[in-house]
Amino acid sequence: MNDAPKGLVFNIQKFSLHDGPGIRTIVFLKGCPLACMWCSNPEGRSREVELIQSCDRCIGTDECDRCLSVCLDESLRIGEDGNVSVDRSRCDGCGDCAYVCPSRALEVSGEWVSVGEVLRAVEEDEAFYARSGGGLTLSGGEPLAQGAFVLALLGAARQRGINTAIETSGLCNWKTLSAVAPLADRIYFDIKCVDRDKHERGTGVSNEKILGNFRKLRAEFPEREVFVRTPVIPGFNDSKEHVAAIVAFIEAAGGASSYELLAYHGFGEPKYRKLGRHYPLSHVAPLSPQHMQELQSVASMGRSDPLTSLLDCDTSSR
Amino acid sequence: MLDASGLPLAHPVAKVRTPHERRIEEGLPIGLAVDASRSKRARIQRLLEGFRDEPIRLNVERARLLTESMKRSEGQPMVLRWGKALAHILREHPIHIEDDELLVGSAGPPGRYAVVYSELVGPGRFYTHPHELVPSKPGDAIVISEDDIATLKGEVLPYWERSSYHKATMSALPEETRRLMERIFVVTPTASGRSMLAWAHDYGKVLECGLGAIRREASERLESLDPLDTAAYVAERPFLQAVLLVCDAMIAFARRYAALAREMAAGERDEERRLELMKIAEICERVPEHPARTFHEAVQSQWFVQTVSRLEQAIGGVVGNGRIDQYLYPYYRKDVDEGRLSEDEALMLLESIWIGMARSTDVYAKPGMPSLTDGFAHWEATTIGGLTPEGQDATNELSYLILKSKREFPLNYPDLAARIHARTPNAFLHAIAETIKEGSGFPKLFCDDEIIPLLVAKGGTIEEANDYCVTGCSETKMLNREGIATGCAWINLGAILEMTLREGRMSCYGNGLVGVPTGDPRTFRSYDQLWEAFTRQIENVVQHTFIQQHVADTLKSQHIASPMFSMLHDLCMKSAKDIHSGPIEGALYLGFFDVMGFGTVIDSLAAIRTLVFEEGKLTMDELLDALEDDFVGHEATRQMCLNAPKYGNNDRTVDQIGHDIEACFAGLAHRHTSAFGGELDLRYVSVTSHIPLGAVVGATPDGRKAREPLSESISPSQGRDVKGPTATLMSISSTKCAQYKERAARLLNMKLSPASLVGEEGTRKLMSLIRTASDMKMWHIQFNIINRDTLLAAQKEPEKYRNLLVRVAGYSAYFVDLTPALQNEIIRRTEHEF
Repeated sequence: MNDAPKGLVFNIQKFSLHDGPGIRTIVFLKGCPLACMWCSNPEGRSREVELIQSCDRCIGTDECDRCLSVCLDESLRIGEDGNVSVDRSRCDGCGDCAYVCPSRALEVSGEWVSVGEVLRAVEEDEAFYARSGGGLTLSGGEPLAQGAFVLALLGAARQRGINTAIETSGLCNWKTLSAVAPLADRIYFDIKCVDRDKHERGTGVSNEKILGNFRKLRAEFPEREVFVRTPVIPGFNDSKEHVAAIVAFIEAAGGASSYELLAYHGFGEPKYRKLGRHYPLSHVAPLSPQHMQELQSVASMGRSDPLTSLLDCDTSSR
Repeated sequence: MLDASGLPLAHPVAKVRTPHERRIEEGLPIGLAVDASRSKRARIQRLLEGFRDEPIRLNVERARLLTESMKRSEGQPMVLRWGKALAHILREHPIHIEDDELLVGSAGPPGRYAVVYSELVGPGRFYTHPHELVPSKPGDAIVISEDDIATLKGEVLPYWERSSYHKATMSALPEETRRLMERIFVVTPTASGRSMLAWAHDYGKVLECGLGAIRREASERLESLDPLDTAAYVAERPFLQAVLLVCDAMIAFARRYAALAREMAAGERDEERRLELMKIAEICERVPEHPARTFHEAVQSQWFVQTVSRLEQAIGGVVGNGRIDQYLYPYYRKDVDEGRLSEDEALMLLESIWIGMARSTDVYAKPGMPSLTDGFAHWEATTIGGLTPEGQDATNELSYLILKSKREFPLNYPDLAARIHARTPNAFLHAIAETIKEGSGFPKLFCDDEIIPLLVAKGGTIEEANDYCVTGCSETKMLNREGIATGCAWINLGAILEMTLREGRMSCYGNGLVGVPTGDPRTFRSYDQLWEAFTRQIENVVQHTFIQQHVADTLKSQHIASPMFSMLHDLCMKSAKDIHSGPIEGALYLGFFDVMGFGTVIDSLAAIRTLVFEEGKLTMDELLDALEDDFVGHEATRQMCLNAPKYGNNDRTVDQIGHDIEACFAGLAHRHTSAFGGELDLRYVSVTSHIPLGAVVGATPDGRKAREPLSESISPSQGRDVKGPTATLMSISSTKCAQYKERAARLLNMKLSPASLVGEEGTRKLMSLIRTASDMKMWHIQFNIINRDTLLAAQKEPEKYRNLLVRVAGYSAYFVDLTPALQNEIIRRTEHEF
């Protein structure tokens, strides 16, 4: 097993039931070239180790000042509200404060790990993969932003008989994607919007490369199972026209194994606070089930049964 | 989905309600869950209506008759005395047939009832002191009348208090052992709280041969006893006489019902009911004396045996139904093939058994004492699936039909147990998963691939082991092979830890020594030193536990005999010996002891090792001072303890501590031989005792505050397993010492959110989870598929949620019947939702 490239991982989540077949383990890789306003994993965006602060867990500076006394770069101080505040411009993510924090009010997100270390964690649940048809799913962040690591990891996983899946925003070098495609049993490909300007306003980047990558993926790897998903964001892409445009794009590019809409949720919001960031969609309400259902009918229009039934049973659960 | 803890979000899941939750929220009255079934099985529907409103009446009549007979037979051989007493009860106990009943026979007054087992008077059972008996007030769960109290105080309790098994056992204990037992909830003997541990009868034998055959055998052997072989004559005669008495009385008991049915038929205006009553009379004249010919006769015969068993004595957890889909199947098949029986008719008969069981409740706790089995729990374990004695898959149409009934029948009976093995058909597993998803916690699952090899290692033949049935909440029995299992003792592992940290003392028992002095932990320089002290405390407690068990085992036959039970057991009949009296030739004696607080103590030792001996974040002084003060003023210390590594997250170094603890207990059990030449097995089944046991344990280094519940059974501490069910299962698997055969049940409750199992995809994922649990050789696993907010709502509006069933520990109970402490404990259990 080649342990050489290391990857920055911010979580390994067992018993995942909704990101590929069977019972799976999701490895979340840190770093993403997109800046989606609705991002529910903001800790996956930066390619640096970051400090996460959960103020509700802090037992207060009267009880404990361990973090303040170990911080060498002086990024921690007592703020005006009496809480410990983090100056993120100074913090180098060394994690010393997290180590001494008794209540996990300070934690570090992101750890550099080897392929072997990840596989050991993934294989802890292999008994469950065997029975459920599950395996490893790479997610993020954008996993393909750590191309060398992902290639080594997927290659090693395949060699060890682990079913593999990857969830990508599609924004990466074609070289990386084309190298990864043969190693992933499933590819979950997000298409958020086909309108370039709109896409840029919502995600901070143009969709040109994403759409191009999708076309090439379908053209050069027609046998590969590709599952397209769209997070439906109120006010961004929640109209029937948007969905229909994406459906048309997918069909023109050669189709997909399935197309699925994921309803917007604001569950990631607390994490923005923990990272000292502002959540731009804090006042956006989730879409009504009726609205989602209408979009769903556009999404599944003219498609055959397996896809439709998958959508029917899954959307209610998400 | 763990948004609050800052973990990444894969796919958040919307709220999904189980069918069980939906029915309760819609305020549907109690009844069969499916419309079509409500009309097809209207009789069952009528019997169910108002069921939960019925109060529980005490049955003191059985105690009165028992006492009356026992007073007359003083000095005679015990088995004969019990035979006479049971015969007296069966001939004199009032009987009734309720409206709509198809199946007759009850061990109590009409409606719901609780039998008073006066012979078990003592702290483990009902009402220690007569002065604590007060008449019930309107609205009380249990109805106790002035007459009941007069009977108990006047004729019954004074007699049994003079010769109480409990008192006799306690006074026969060596002094050091007794002193330890007197510290409530450190080691809790339960032998005197029931006549024997969970069991089931060989119903199949009665169905196939009838009691007449057993009577004939006893009678022939009685006649052929050689008076010159005095030893055999004196030993066997009373047993065989008792068998005759009991067979005759049971047959007479059935005939009394036949006569009553005929009498009622004579006055019945409704022609349909009149014919039913005539049919009941004919059946009761036929069974249990003769072999059953039809499904109806078979079910009635089974029910008579079960009813008489309740009147004979208190079997811990109440008498089980055995492998019901096996012994009833030939009758079902024949009736269906010959066009006599429809599916709904079969279901109505089965559901009549379920109603009969639900009417009988088990009252243990005396007022003011922490409840040991909340919710008046009883476990008439009812086994389906598994293997035939020959090792083929045993699933049949009846197995599926019983699952169907479980999905539709709204009460928490039967306590359904499904045996799973490598060749369990997928279709059966699918039906099981769908039943579990209904949300009332059934069936519980038992893994043949773990249990059968263990039973063989313990001495069963492969045939006997393949044919095991589930009894109690998580025990197993080889019916005609195992000897008596006297009540087990509960060992409070939390208390043992506290003794280790307090030089043999416990905060709630002052300065007196409870365990043994093992040195001042403040002077310990290594984890090994701590471990040595801990194992020394374990050894001491286990030794006294075994001594207590030996005394309880050997004294029992001076107080209790079970002629009906014994006459249905091949080995007892063969040696003409009561099941309680000493070693029976060929019997395997597989007793057990329970260890409580496994997760709490693993986490505590892991915290000490990590924080004190590895990371040096705390000194032993700081930690012990914090425990002494129940963490008040030591919040930072408590937080470190709470955030130290925990059992249940597949952390091998933590799980190894559990493995070491198991090795320590199992090693002691391995070196020990029990009173009748058998073994006492290590078990983790807390039922609800982890709450009262926790109440005597001070603060623990896992961050648990003083008096809080301990962890439950083999499960990780409540809410501490945060990596999902696969990690929990892996951890549990890692703590097992498979090299020892002195092991038994490891009870695991797993809470899953309904949202994680939505649709056919969810069913299949649950099936694969069960398959993997079976691959991993879990002993037992049960699921609670329920939303946390439903439980919170039920606490706020108990009236609305009266019918909400939850899985407690080896059984399901109505959530609102549970004590607030147990309700909170169930809410705190980790919910796995992703």
